[in-house]
Amino acid sequence: MTHEPERVTPQEARARDAVRGLGAPRADAAFRERLKRDFVTGRIGERRVLELPVAWHRRLAWRLALAPVAAALAVVVALANRGPAWTVRGTLGDGIAVVDQFPVPLGHADELQRRLHPGARLRMPEGGQVELAAAGSMVIQVAAGTELTLPASPGRWFGRSVTATTAHGVIRVTTGPAFHGARLHVDTPEASVDVLGTTLAVICEPAGTCVCVFDGVVQVGARGAAQEPVSSGHRRFVFNDGRPPEMAGIRPPEIGRLDDLRARQRSWLERGSD
Amino acid sequence: MPDRSVMEETAQPPSSSPPGQAELERVRARDPEALAAFFERYFDRVYATVYRLLGDRTLAEDMTQEVFLKVHRAAHQLDPTRDPGPWLMTIAHNACRDLWRSGAWKMTRRAAPLDGESPLASTLASPAPDPERALLSAERERLVQEALAKLPEPLRVAIVLHDYQGLGHEEVAAITGIHHAAARKRYSRALAALARLLEGSLG
Repeated sequence: MTHEPERVTPQEARARDAVRGLGAPRADAAFRERLKRDFVTGRIGERRVLELPVAWHRRLAWRLALAPVAAALAVVVALANRGPAWTVRGTLGDGIAVVDQFPVPLGHADELQRRLHPGARLRMPEGGQVELAAAGSMVIQVAAGTELTLPASPGRWFGRSVTATTAHGVIRVTTGPAFHGARLHVDTPEASVDVLGTTLAVICEPAGTCVCVFDGVVQVGARGAAQEPVSSGHRRFVFNDGRPPEMAGIRPPEIGRLDDLRARQRSWLERGSD
Repeated sequence: MPDRSVMEETAQPPSSSPPGQAELERVRARDPEALAAFFERYFDRVYATVYRLLGDRTLAEDMTQEVFLKVHRAAHQLDPTRDPGPWLMTIAHNACRDLWRSGAWKMTRRAAPLDGESPLASTLASPAPDPERALLSAERERLVQEALAKLPEPLRVAIVLHDYQGLGHEEVAAITGIHHAAARKRYSRALAALARLLEGSLG
């Protein structure tokens, strides 16, 4: 050993001696033998990568053969994952709605339904409202004078987060059992609302957006700011002039409207379809 | 100092004289016989060092294999006029340092205990002449190894190379790529830290 003299405390000397007294652990004999053989013969390191004995052209053939199968499988899964289509559950009043700039009289429910798809822009007339449903998942009531970009209905296994956008007017939402685990995000000019399973109204007014929660809990905040939970029986108003949002009790007229919407649609939502 | 008589299974790594120049020339030429002798001469030392640095038998085996792989690949760079011991220790240290820097190591350290096979277990399994003393010795060894494992890696290297491998500060400095004075200072800090970790546990 070539230790130089060290000035150490008794504790350090004990620690040093303990290390010097450590034994040499024995390696596994089989490992040692194998390593020695590989080192001597030069085969060391050769078996580090598991190479399957398959010629490149056969692997390529497999890939070419499997590519259409994988593509077909992906299409099948994507189709199977799609949530239910939007259906028109009912209309009230009259007038002409505009779907993607195409006018459709409210009385023509079939035509209206045919034109509604995820991402469609719906503008309701001042004298009428419509209730749109995704079987088992949710019902959206679009009130008179409202502009709404329709969300997709949540996918069965993935793509369970969907987004609707409303510029002005009122939408009321009630969710069903199939919505469990999904998320509806509603964007208004000034507010951001996250719905996880509830009945609520999103009311876009000149001064801002009012979110009235009838049951469940909804996350509401100004766009780009932190959201806060709004519980059953409360409302949160997000102003468009920069004032901080205000929390208060639910607007009394909304209690009756949301209760009515939920009561009428609950059994249908729980059944999952007509 | 612990009683070395109970450590027949785990004797201090041999520090025999280095191979002669002619033999090292044959290692450079990858002569199988010379390689076999070289392996026999250095295997235990490499394995013991990486085991003490890593505290895990499986990792120590992997790392020993890595060291001998590098030795085989770089055999032509071996200087036959010098003791290859420090060269091997440099390779071992660099391999361990690369492992410590890897994400895989950081991930395994979050959950993994020290070596699964405790020195106590191997002592119980071995036919030691005095079981009580062997138990005490094994327990002491476990405590020291655990304390080593708690040291920051550079400090662990300083202790293992200097006290366990018996290398001088100059050699440790060359292996770790730092100045001689820095190696000395690092060793002092390492020893103080180890003493604190072992305080009251060595009896």
